[in-house]
This record gives sequence, structure tokens and C-alpha cells, in this order.
Amino acid sequence: MHKISVKINGNAYEEEVESRLLLVHFLRDKVNLKGTHVGCDTGNCGACTVFLNGKPIKSCNMLAVQADGAELTTIEGLERDGALHPVQEAFLDKFAIQCGYCTPGMVLSALALLQSNRRPNEEEIREAIEGNICMCTGYQQIVDAVAHAADLMGQSRS
Amino acid sequence: MIPPKFEYVAPASLSEAAAFLAAHPGDAKLLAGGQSLIPVLKLRLASPGFLVDLGRIAGLSYIREEPASGGKPGAVAIGAMTTYAEIKQSALLREKCPLLQQTVAVVADVQVRNRGTLGGSLAHADPSADMPAAILALGGELKAVGPKGERWIAVGEYFQGMFATALAPDEVLTEIRVPVLTGQRSAYLKAARRATDFALVGVAVRLRVGKDEKCEEISIALTGVTDRAFRAAGVERALQGKRLEPKLIEQATADVVQGVNVMGNIHGGAEYRAQVARVYAARAIAAAK
Amino acid sequence: MLNFDEIFVTRNWFGKPVRRDKDARFVRGEGSYTDDLPMDCLYAAFVRSPYPHARLGNIDTSKAAALKGVRAVVTGPEVAAATKPVGARAITRPAVQHVMATKKVRYVGEPVAIVVANDRYLVEDAAELIEVDYEPLRVVVEIDDAMKKDAPLVFDEAETNVLLHDTLTHGDIEQAFRDADFVMQEQFRVQRFSSTPLENWAMIAKYEKSTDSYTVWANDQQPGRSIVNLCNALGIPANRLRLIVPDSGGGFGIKLAIWPYMVSLCVVARKVDKPVKWIQTRREHLLAGTHTPDCILDLELAMKKDGQVLGLRMRDRQNDGSFVHTAGIYNLIKFANIVGCYNIKATQAEMMSIVTNKAPTVQNRGVGKPAMMFSLERLMHRAAVQLGMDPAEIRFRNFIQPEQMPHTTPSGEIYESGNYPECLRIALEQIGYKDLKAQQETLRKQGTYIGIGLSASIEPGTSNLGYYYTSRGTPEYMGNAEGAIVSMDYDGNINVLLGSVEEGQGHATSVSQVIADMLAITPDRVTMNQQLDSVMSPFMGHSGCYSNRFNDVEMGAVIMATKKIRDKVLKIASHRLGVPVADLRFRDGTVYSEKDAGKTLTFKEVATLAYKQVLLLPVGFEPGLKEVAFYKNDIAKLPNKTDFNVQMTHANSLHATVVEVDPATGMIRFRKYVIVHDCGRQINPGIVEGMSIGSTVHGVGTVLLEEFIYDENGQILTTSFVDYMKPLAVGLPRFEVSHMESPCTTSLLGTKAVGEGGAIGSLAAIGNAVEDALTPFGVKVTSLPITPEKVLRAIRETKVI
Repeated sequence: MHKISVKINGNAYEEEVESRLLLVHFLRDKVNLKGTHVGCDTGNCGACTVFLNGKPIKSCNMLAVQADGAELTTIEGLERDGALHPVQEAFLDKFAIQCGYCTPGMVLSALALLQSNRRPNEEEIREAIEGNICMCTGYQQIVDAVAHAADLMGQSRS
Repeated sequence: MIPPKFEYVAPASLSEAAAFLAAHPGDAKLLAGGQSLIPVLKLRLASPGFLVDLGRIAGLSYIREEPASGGKPGAVAIGAMTTYAEIKQSALLREKCPLLQQTVAVVADVQVRNRGTLGGSLAHADPSADMPAAILALGGELKAVGPKGERWIAVGEYFQGMFATALAPDEVLTEIRVPVLTGQRSAYLKAARRATDFALVGVAVRLRVGKDEKCEEISIALTGVTDRAFRAAGVERALQGKRLEPKLIEQATADVVQGVNVMGNIHGGAEYRAQVARVYAARAIAAAK
Repeated sequence: MLNFDEIFVTRNWFGKPVRRDKDARFVRGEGSYTDDLPMDCLYAAFVRSPYPHARLGNIDTSKAAALKGVRAVVTGPEVAAATKPVGARAITRPAVQHVMATKKVRYVGEPVAIVVANDRYLVEDAAELIEVDYEPLRVVVEIDDAMKKDAPLVFDEAETNVLLHDTLTHGDIEQAFRDADFVMQEQFRVQRFSSTPLENWAMIAKYEKSTDSYTVWANDQQPGRSIVNLCNALGIPANRLRLIVPDSGGGFGIKLAIWPYMVSLCVVARKVDKPVKWIQTRREHLLAGTHTPDCILDLELAMKKDGQVLGLRMRDRQNDGSFVHTAGIYNLIKFANIVGCYNIKATQAEMMSIVTNKAPTVQNRGVGKPAMMFSLERLMHRAAVQLGMDPAEIRFRNFIQPEQMPHTTPSGEIYESGNYPECLRIALEQIGYKDLKAQQETLRKQGTYIGIGLSASIEPGTSNLGYYYTSRGTPEYMGNAEGAIVSMDYDGNINVLLGSVEEGQGHATSVSQVIADMLAITPDRVTMNQQLDSVMSPFMGHSGCYSNRFNDVEMGAVIMATKKIRDKVLKIASHRLGVPVADLRFRDGTVYSEKDAGKTLTFKEVATLAYKQVLLLPVGFEPGLKEVAFYKNDIAKLPNKTDFNVQMTHANSLHATVVEVDPATGMIRFRKYVIVHDCGRQINPGIVEGMSIGSTVHGVGTVLLEEFIYDENGQILTTSFVDYMKPLAVGLPRFEVSHMESPCTTSLLGTKAVGEGGAIGSLAAIGNAVEDALTPFGVKVTSLPITPEKVLRAIRETKVI
């Protein structure tokens, strides 16, 4: 067992973890943050995407013990004062959700893109979410939502 | 899918890591970015007793220029734990060795590139991975640190087969040095069913064309075709010193898999890979020149 | 049937792209999927056969049982002894199968033991410790081999591997072929694939000793039937089973038959003192979850020289793997849709459901229509080419015309509405059809090969469930119906309970829009309990989210229950205000007198009367405002081989695409993609668009990427998303979607099927485009998927994909 300290969505946690515990199960089963999902088990689908020190990673492809000392952000950490993040608003505006299972990972991948590229074109958006599989939407409304989120975030900046 | 039980160790230094490997022969596996290893564990295709995390060892993640000295030409040195994302964003590499950036751009996806490392990919030596082709085309050398100290391995001698390298079981790959490509052009072209897939065929090319438009230097390496990445030496010879006319490129690349034991799987049979290798080799050369 | 104009009192919400705020939990990470439920559970894992066909020997569970933290181990034979066999529906040969392997295993991945342990990590370790003896048997993998005389039998008692063999003839098929100027024929092969919902199967079972009863939580797609199946298998009455369906991360049919695992989980839950959870892994899902059967379709069209199709013969051989519960279903659906959008007067369908040592199959998005429409539309394209006729023109000549609606097909399917020619005209306009041929010629000269593909397809909805039994003649289920409870609460807001749970289709939003316009309120005043709970929710044996039945029977039940509420509100208001019901109107959550605007009651005031001030209600008047309604679609006919409608609504779509094929590598790239979809009236165009595009991308995956590959020894090679390739955001075209609205005459709202169209129509559109692009190379497309390797081999050698 290893003792790890992590900050998740601004809150500090200290837990004893088994060597083999995957980060995604740490988040879901130990910290009770159920918004991070498991979809494929092989690092292909991106449903388990979270931010590790500000960058999106796949939490099913990482051990919890590797995250010792890191700052993590999950989908539950995006709201501010009860208000949805513009990316979350945009997903609702553009019907970018269907079953919702890929949504947390998609939202985080979209946000990662928009943090480094304020005006992504369609190709850049598609590349930014190529590590996230959505079985329902065919992606188009998600792509539209990300473009729309760029607009919303631009407005909130100005 | 859950990894089998193992013990996680996080050495603070390279010597500690190498000593641990030496003390647990066959039972310890190095963990770099984990993007290949962790799925392998989850599928229970491997069950090492120990995972030795290189992530806690300081000073393994860097990209810096090594000026020419002692007869060695100028190089870019990349720490083994440098991620694809860091390579992608490096201003130094953009200027000195764009081939690496051209290659990492098509490796997997954003999340994997944020964790996956150059050293991890080269140590894993997947026969369809992109980085081995790029490194092979670049030449250069790799630094291995073991219990007896460090040694340099020439890139040409490094890949030894499917998931097999020149690294000894108790050695840690710590640095990759690639030449500065001043005055050269390069391209990496990847054939894949989907953007994030491993390569059906990947072709890395760097070349220098003289004022007379003749090819003064060319290096071509392929991945995805056989059990390891390989240099297309015959094609290089056929083009060396010649003008890179489309017809000549086509003739030269027709033999790109000559003498190579082309391997196939469900994503593409041997015959198909051979054909795509010919086409992509030609296209990669055309894209580079 | 309630007239459309009588349904609504306002038209503020129906037909508008109302945001899915009802599902805002998904963007917040607050979705409540089965694995998210806050319960203290034990974990189960299945031990699965590595052999495709083997006699099951001794199962040694001792090492696993001895592992600390292991709570129970039960073998397949033990589960089989405690349960009744799986019921067959469509097949006619006897075949006995239990929910787990008993005497032999029939496919790689068949469960042979189940182990329960304290946590999800330990349980996988324990499963590895179970030792099973197998005596391998000869394996049968592909259709042709399974039909050979000396083929090994998957079910010995059936004495054949063909468990359903029937030929249904409608119209004068012999005359049609005698009258034909020529016959177009081809054999098509469609591979095994699956829609693979992103959330795998998930379930929890809890046993309560005091009542000898079970509670099961599962992402089940057809709970109405699963309750029956579960009770049958466990041998318990329905009042000892409670089924709860929480949020479900996609279904597409692939969660329609998860109940055999629920049975096993109940058996093992009985042995322990806590709820037991099983979360399927992706590997298990791909290995031994349920697939779409692969099939070989031989089609013959009796053609006139002017392009008219007189008759259609089909021989359908389908590899149903090894699951008696669903075997034969696809055959019957293909047969029911055999004529597509065309006025073909005579048909003959020979159907064979063949069992092999491949994984079980289930009704996946489109159920048989993808293969049927692919084959028919490929052959129509080929017929046009042979006649030197434009592929659009041959379709115009054969379409059922809008003035011929309602149209009854030879087998009795009633197409109630649709305007197929207009859909095609819109598509041709959208894609710039008239310039494409010239463009294609120009590009060919430059070495660029583009192809244009059209596909017209039917997208039926609301199964008449008797179809399962058409070959057996003993329907256990027939028609299709649903239940809903609608209540008005103390504040005059509306709450809905429905017999089905969606898997992402936005039903809560659609329901809120319809109810808002039925009661002159805003949708935010309508909530829908999105979990099904069998002790609270109304449901039918048909209940489930499949077959595009939501906007027909589910919405029908909602409308009828809401209508009851509305009528009761009117009666209460009439009594209280002293105004005749005929003079009462609705506005902004109030009911008022049209003649005296001062006489008004808010819904809250009505609810106060109904729930609290009950003495102010008329004597004998039932207090409260909670109404249940069940609704069935009455167009359904009794199951019958000569005249039977398998579905009750008929949407249609027209797909048109331009692809570019690289003849040097066989790679295919989209240049343009147009979808014209007619699902009748749309409740929410934002949702409809997502369904249209999402289903089309399923089709793109089917055509270009996805395939469950088995080697000749029956081993499956595609058990991860590395090898089983799903479409990604990169590599897809931007889909241009247009809608027509030909209102359905058999559903209350004039709505028709939405969810499957793209998965049906896209296959032939892309296939036709690829063949068109490769015309200079003389390549034919007869099979799926169209991989770059197959394209290249066809160009260079075989001439056939």
C-alpha cells in the first residue's frame, strides 16, 4: 500500500492505495467522483479523461500512485458558483449530448483545446477530440458545440 | 479489466532504478508514461512482480541542444521521459529537428501524447509505432544506464526485433540524441485506417538537396512493415546523388520492401502493407523534397 | 384515435429545438449509471471459455474459493440446474440452452462459472484461479460450413445447424420472373458488427431472504420483457422481482438481451448477504456480448427493360452464432422490409437462421434492414448501370408514389405515409447531382477517382412483436403498447413515469414539450422520472427503448394520460368556477372561462382542490390528479404468414454521398454527404438531427471499419477498441441534413421512426459510391466492410470487393 496526496478540484485528499489501483478507480471508488467513466479499458475511448496538472490524460491508463502530488480536475470541478462552465452550456445548446456517457471526457478534451486555442477551426476541433469516442452523436453536434463554446468563452472574456 | 498484482517502486535516481532491475531479473518492468504498458497489464498479457516508475527520477525530461564537440556533430538531446506533447511544442525541435514533430503530430491522441514518452516508445519497440521510424531515419544514438554505468547505442543497432531492443534487462534508456537537421527537409507519412491508430505503414524521410537539385543525403525509415522499424538502404542508394524526379522516386521505392520479411495482421495483410509501403515511401520522399 | 388537432392547446414547444436541460446532469458528471449507484456491493466476474466448442469437464473452484475475500463461486452447470432454459422465439427446431454453459461450451467467451468477491480487483484474480477441463469438439464458424452434411452440430437435439428454414412467397413471383426481360442477381455478404454502446452492460442483484425476492438494477433496454424472462428462468412469480433501470450509456439494441446474465447474478446473489455487482469489461462486451449476425444474401430482381422491377427473390442465410433466444429474428425483419421504397408486386424470401460457434447475436440498430437495404440498393444501382440508366432515374420509376399512400406491400406491411420521390429530388439538389458526372469525368482524367452513391431506404418503427413468432405460429407477444403515469403535483407541476427508459434519446425533453403544449405550460414545469422501477412505473411486456417506438406508443401513453389529467382539471375547474367545460380554455398554467376572463384558476389552485380541499369537489368525484394510461397502436395485424405488418410506422431516408478512392492504397475519403430524412413531424429537431447523424456514423463504421473477425478455429480476433475499430471525429464528413415532414397517419403526433435511418441507408450509399468511383477498374462491391486492403486487391486482381 502507498499513501498518496492529491488535490482534486481544489480539495486535498490523502489515501492509502494498492499499487495496481487505477487512477480512474481511485476517483470513482475512493473519492466518489462518478462523473469519470470507464468505456474501453484499453485507453482508446477517452471516457475516463481528466486533467492532470492542467492537461487532459486518460485516467484508466494511469496508476493512482503515479498521481501522488498532482492536481487533478474532473468534470465535477468545472462549475463555478453553481454556474455551468461555458463548454458545458455549449454542449447543451448544441445537442452535443445523447446518452451522456462520453460527455464528461468530451467536455474536458474540448476545454483543453480551448485553453490553448481560442478560435479553433473544425479540423482542429476534430483532432482535439479524436481520443474520445462517442457512440451516439456521430460527433457533428459535439464539434459544433466546441465551436460555440469558443464563442461563449470569447464573450465572457470581453 | 484490472492489472494483476504487482508492487510499485519509485526510485529517486537512475542508479537506484538500475540496481533494482539488476536485483529482480525478469520480474521488474520499467514504467515510463504507461500508455502501452498499462493496457498490457489490464489485459493480463504480462504480470511483472514490480513496476519501477521512472516518473519520480528528476532530470529525465528535457530537450536541449548539444553543440558539436570532440568530433561529434551538433545534436539535440531529448530526455527519455520527455512526452510527445513536449516534443510537439518544442521551439528548439521545430527549428533543429522538425521530423520529430512531424511524427509525434500523428501519434495516438492528445491525452496519450500528454503521458506517452519518447523513451517509453523506443524501449517498448512496438513494430508499428511511429517514433522508431523517425529515430531510425534521423540516426544518432541512445544512452543506456545500467549497474555498470552508461553506454551509447547507435540507433542503427538499437532495434532488434518485435518488442526487442539492444537494451540489457538491467539498463534504463535515458537519452536520445538526434542530429541537427540544418539544411535538410523531412516528412513523416503514416498510413492508418483511423487517425489515432498504429501505423499500417509509417515512412520517415529526411534529405538534403544541393544547389544542383541533386539529392546529397537521404535517409528513409519505415515502420509497420516487419518486426521492427528499418532503414530502406536500397532506396537511399538509388536516390543518392540523383535528381528526385517523380519517375525515379517511383522506380526506387518499388523495391522498398525487397529482402524484408513483410508481416501482416487483421488490419492489413503482408501484400497490402508491401504495396502501401511502396506508395507511401514515394509520397513521403515527394512530401519532404 | 385522438385527432392531432385535439392534442394541443398551444403550439409553443412541439417541433422546436428545445434544449435538453432535463439531461444537464450529463454535462455535470451527475449521470447515474448502474456502476455509479451509491450501494455497498460485492463484485462478480465470469470465467469464460477459451474454446469455441468443447465438452465441459470438471470445474475446479477450490483455489478461487480459498482466496481471502472470495464470497461465492457457482459453476455453469449449477446455475443451469437452478434455472429454466432460455426461451426461443423465431426458430422452429428444438434447441435447449441455459444462461450459462452446462454440458458444453458453444463459443469463445461463453460463461462457465461466476465468482463473487469483496472488490472488483480481487474478483478478477479469483476468476483466474478457476480451473476448467475442456474436451475440444470440432468447430463450425462460417455459414457455408455450418450447412454441410457432416458439419458438427451446435445443438445436437436440433439435428441440424439450420434452426429456422422458411420460405414466404407473396404475389405471383413465378409470373414476375416469367414476365421479366432480364434478371439482376448478386450475392451480398454483410459482416458481423455491433453498435457497442460506450457503457458496457452493468447490473446489480440483491436477494432478500425475508421475502424470498430479488431486486435487480441493470442498464436493460427492454425491461418489460426481461421481467418475464427473469421470472421464467428463476421460476418465481413476478411479485418477487423488482427491476430498476437507471441511466443507460447507450443501447442501440445491444442491451436488449442482457437478462441471461441477470439470471446468473440472481442465482449467486442468493448465496451472499450483500448486493452483487457485475460490470462487463469492454473485452467481454466485444468477445461475448451480443453481435449483429453476419449474413449472406442472394438477391434476384425480375426486371423490365424500362427499369421496372416486377419481382424480388431473396435467399437469406444468417449466422446467428449460438443464442437460441434471438436466432431467426433478423431473417424475419429483412423479409418484412424486402421491397424497400419500391412498388414491387411479388416477393419471395427464403430464410435460414444458422447457428455456429460464434458469439450470440441480438437486434442491433436497424435489425436486418441495414443488410437488406444494402443488398437491394446495391442491386438497384447495378441494374441502372446495366440499363445505361441514371441511378436516380431507376429509383424514380420504381418508387411507391405519395398518392399511393397508404400502400400495402405484398406481405402486408402498411406504409402509411411518405414521399420518396421528393426526398430524392431534395437530395439530388443538395448534392449538386447534375454537375457531378461531369466533375467525375474531369477528375478521372487527372487520376482522381470520385464516385456518387444514392440509397433510398425505409426506416420502420414500432415492431408488431408477433413477428418473432410468424414461423412458429404461437405468438406470446403481439402488437406493441406502452404505459405512462402522469400526475399534477401540489404546485400544479407535472410529473411523468414511463414504462421505458431511454439510452440517450432525450425522451424527457420531448415528453416535456408535448405536455407543455397539451396544458399551456412551459416545459420546465414537467419532470420525468427517468429511472424505471417495476414496482412503481407502468409498463407492458413490450416496454423498452427499441424499434423507434418512443414517439409512437410511448408518447401515445403519455398523451392519453395527460389528456385524462386535462379532462379532470377541466371538470374540477368547471365545478369550482361554475362554467361549462366547453367554455373553459388554458393559458399559462391557468384554466379560465372564455366568456368571463375573471373566472380563472391556476393549476396550483386546481391541485389544491384535488389534493387538499377535497370537500369542494363534486360529491362522488375522485380526488387526486394522477392518471395512468396504456396505449397500443391499432394498426397491428395478428401474426400471420400471408398478411402481416411487422412494423407500424414507416419513416424513410435518402442518403447521397460523394467519395474519393485512392487507387494506389485503396483508402476511401468522403467529399460530401447529404441526408434527407422524413420522420414525419419532428418533436425536437435538435434531437432528430443528432439521431440522423449519429445513426449514419454507425453505418459509416459498418461500411468502412467495423468487423468481428474470427479465425478458422473459431477464435475471435477483435476484442478491444484497438482491433474493433469505431469511427472517430477525424475522418468523417460534415453531414448535410434536410428534413421532409410527411406526417404519419398511424401515430398520434404524426411522428415516425428517427433512430435507425442512418444505420440503414448509409451502407448502400457508400457502397454505391465506391463502386461508381471504381468503374474504370471494373470493380464490384458485394461485401462489407469495404477495407482499403479489399479495395486494392479488387483493383489489382479480383475485381470484387
